[in-house]
Amino acid sequence: MNKPLKKLIIEHLRGSVVPFSLTFEKGKKLAVIYGENGTGKSTICDAFEFIGKGKVGSLENRGLGRTDRYWHSMGKSPSDVAVELETADSTCRATIGPKEVVVVPADRRPRVEVLRRKQILDLIEAEPGKRYAAISRFVDVGAIETSEGTLRQLLTDLTSNREVAVARVQENQDTIRQFWDAAGKPIPDMFGWAKAESSRDISKADGEIAAIHSLQTAFTQLTSYPDRVAGAEAKLNFEKEAQQAAEVELNQLLANLSQDTGQVVEILQAAQKYLAKHTMIETCPLCESGEKTEDLADRVNHRLAAFSEYQAALTKRMGTNQNVQKAEHQLQSWLESASQHVAQFELCRQTYTWPQDIQLPASAAPREASQLSAWLTTNSQLPAGWNKAGALRQDRKQFHIALNKAYATWRDNTQAQKELDSLLPRLTKALELVAAERKQFTDAKLSEIAERVGVLYEAVHPGEGLNKISLQLDLKKRASLEIGASFCGQDTRPQAYFSDSHLDTLGLCVFLALSAMENAEKTVLVLDDVLASVDEPHVDRLIEMLYSEALKFRHCIITTHYRPWKQKLRWGWLQNGQCQFVELTKWTATNGLTTISSIPDIERLRQLVAESPPDCQLVCAKAGVILEASLDFLTLQYECLVPYRQSGSYTVGELLPAVSGNLRQALRVDVLTGSDESGQLLYKTVNLGPYLDEISRIVQARNVFGCHFNQISFDLLDSDALRFGQQVLGLIEVLVDGEAGWPKNGKSGEYWQTAGTTRKLYPYKKPA
Amino acid sequence: MEAPSVQLADKILDRLVKENLLLAEDKTKLRAKLAEGKLKAEDWRLALELAQAKDLKA
Repeated sequence: MNKPLKKLIIEHLRGSVVPFSLTFEKGKKLAVIYGENGTGKSTICDAFEFIGKGKVGSLENRGLGRTDRYWHSMGKSPSDVAVELETADSTCRATIGPKEVVVVPADRRPRVEVLRRKQILDLIEAEPGKRYAAISRFVDVGAIETSEGTLRQLLTDLTSNREVAVARVQENQDTIRQFWDAAGKPIPDMFGWAKAESSRDISKADGEIAAIHSLQTAFTQLTSYPDRVAGAEAKLNFEKEAQQAAEVELNQLLANLSQDTGQVVEILQAAQKYLAKHTMIETCPLCESGEKTEDLADRVNHRLAAFSEYQAALTKRMGTNQNVQKAEHQLQSWLESASQHVAQFELCRQTYTWPQDIQLPASAAPREASQLSAWLTTNSQLPAGWNKAGALRQDRKQFHIALNKAYATWRDNTQAQKELDSLLPRLTKALELVAAERKQFTDAKLSEIAERVGVLYEAVHPGEGLNKISLQLDLKKRASLEIGASFCGQDTRPQAYFSDSHLDTLGLCVFLALSAMENAEKTVLVLDDVLASVDEPHVDRLIEMLYSEALKFRHCIITTHYRPWKQKLRWGWLQNGQCQFVELTKWTATNGLTTISSIPDIERLRQLVAESPPDCQLVCAKAGVILEASLDFLTLQYECLVPYRQSGSYTVGELLPAVSGNLRQALRVDVLTGSDESGQLLYKTVNLGPYLDEISRIVQARNVFGCHFNQISFDLLDSDALRFGQQVLGLIEVLVDGEAGWPKNGKSGEYWQTAGTTRKLYPYKKPA
Repeated sequence: MEAPSVQLADKILDRLVKENLLLAEDKTKLRAKLAEGKLKAEDWRLALELAQAKDLKA
């Protein structure tokens, strides 16, 4: 996933009206893409974002709504759009699918981070919440805070539980003490007594209470029988007397009636029933005569009415007979019931071993109802004693239950308190530790980011007093981040005091620091025209900083329309060993994006000198420009005397004599040629004096051939012009490393060196 | 790169073990829950009580 990039092919995405191919140079992790505005730089950045993130960020926030309508080139459709990235070990291709950008194979999709000019201040000027969102992936430990919250809640709950336990312990201790006092403090150890009491078996008391209750119930049931039996006997006597009276009355009536009256009545009653059912008859059911059948029912009823008194007496006698039977039955029932309850009482009395405080009847309950009343009267005082004995046992039972409960609660809460006393300090310590680790972790992460931002910022703005960049979480707000800085010794917000240029740099530094923190070696970093507002004095340092930061990433693409960068690269003023320089020329609707080859001046001079026949005018012109650059560098480096001029531009005629005398003789360069077996670097020493002397001798060739139309040139030899070019080429090849640039670094204190120490220029100071 | 919560979970659990507030063998099973915010009160209590029990035994 982090193999070097080889080639990017863009088909019909935005400015690429025809397929555009960008080949990356092997061994160079930084590509600087230079072009004037409108040459297609952003299209290249868009292509990386398209394949890496599935979007085209340059179109966003322009009020376009959905931007995918504008992704394809004019005259093409979304299906024509494709971006292909070839790496050392694979190729992946991105196209526009039905819903989103589709990359095949998906697992080869490159990781891309893009920063554009318009986004550069986002992180600095954003609200604290949005700023936090940008760094949350590095510092957000919200899930840990949730777990920490449950630990905190547990501590709160258990602390509360302990307070409850303490209260319950005290409460139940008081209760036990009251019981202990009430019991007369049987032994000195209150809790020992309570423990012994609560473990005592109370099932015996329960049995006694139940037995007493049964005895009371059985006795109470017996007490009702004397009255019931007496009442039943009286009732029976009464009914018998009524029965005799009814019999007498009936006999008297019968004596006045014929002897067969009863039988006649029975016949009439039968006829009445029959006629009630058969209302329409033609013959008498008894004699079968058809005469006088019309009013037969009326005549039967009429005759029966004449016997009503007899019937009433008969009915009354029958009623009294039934009443006597009922009374006899009731009496028998009470006698049997009394007998059963007597047996039940005796069973209660005899089957239980009664404690001594329970007084029982002296004799067994009599089975004869007539004796029961006397027996009950004799023992009538006993139930009161039984009540008292039952209540006493009930009190003891309640006492035991209450004591048992108090002791169990006291014991359980004492245990709970003891356990919590042991656990709570550990919980507290764990919570403190978790909170401290979280804070330390977050602070360390923020500090790491801030420190990295500070280092990057300081590299661009060294010693300008704008330092000590800090990132601070706002403790009063969730997910809120402030950026702080030190300005003139005061802690402040950089937005308040930094210039736009400084804020731009700060924004870029924050982006670079964050990007470098997460899988930098797998990330293609794309910086789209981010140098625009950086002022001239800081650009070189910013570029140097970008060079060194780019090495951390899989690849770094920087687009710029900053022309001095192009020139400085051409002149080797910037180390470019890791840098590929690509120049875009004007975009056209026919050709789309186009690169042009940009040959450094030194390389151009080498080509001119090697041509046959050489073009003397071009050789001298190019060599003169390079010579001026070389002398400009040397006179500045050694503070040589030149006319003090407002324009600050000098001619070869002024610069070359300035590098003279002891300085010219002392100037030498150690050129790196390789290393020995032990890795020791090997150098070849070349004196610059001979080059400068020979150039001084033939320098007029530059003006004669290279600058003007001059008849004198007719008299000079072409070989002098060519030699001028060759000497300048020799001088510059010794002095400058095409990859590492000019020897401008004086950190050794002995010589000036290039990056990687490929050149060492002596002396360090101009000789007296 | 591991998520910040996972990184911090490792640090916290290591520290708890170092302070004898957690058994080393419990680290693995608590790691994911702690990092995902799913560690419940009973999980915390059990883990701390187990460590306490071992501490008291020792």
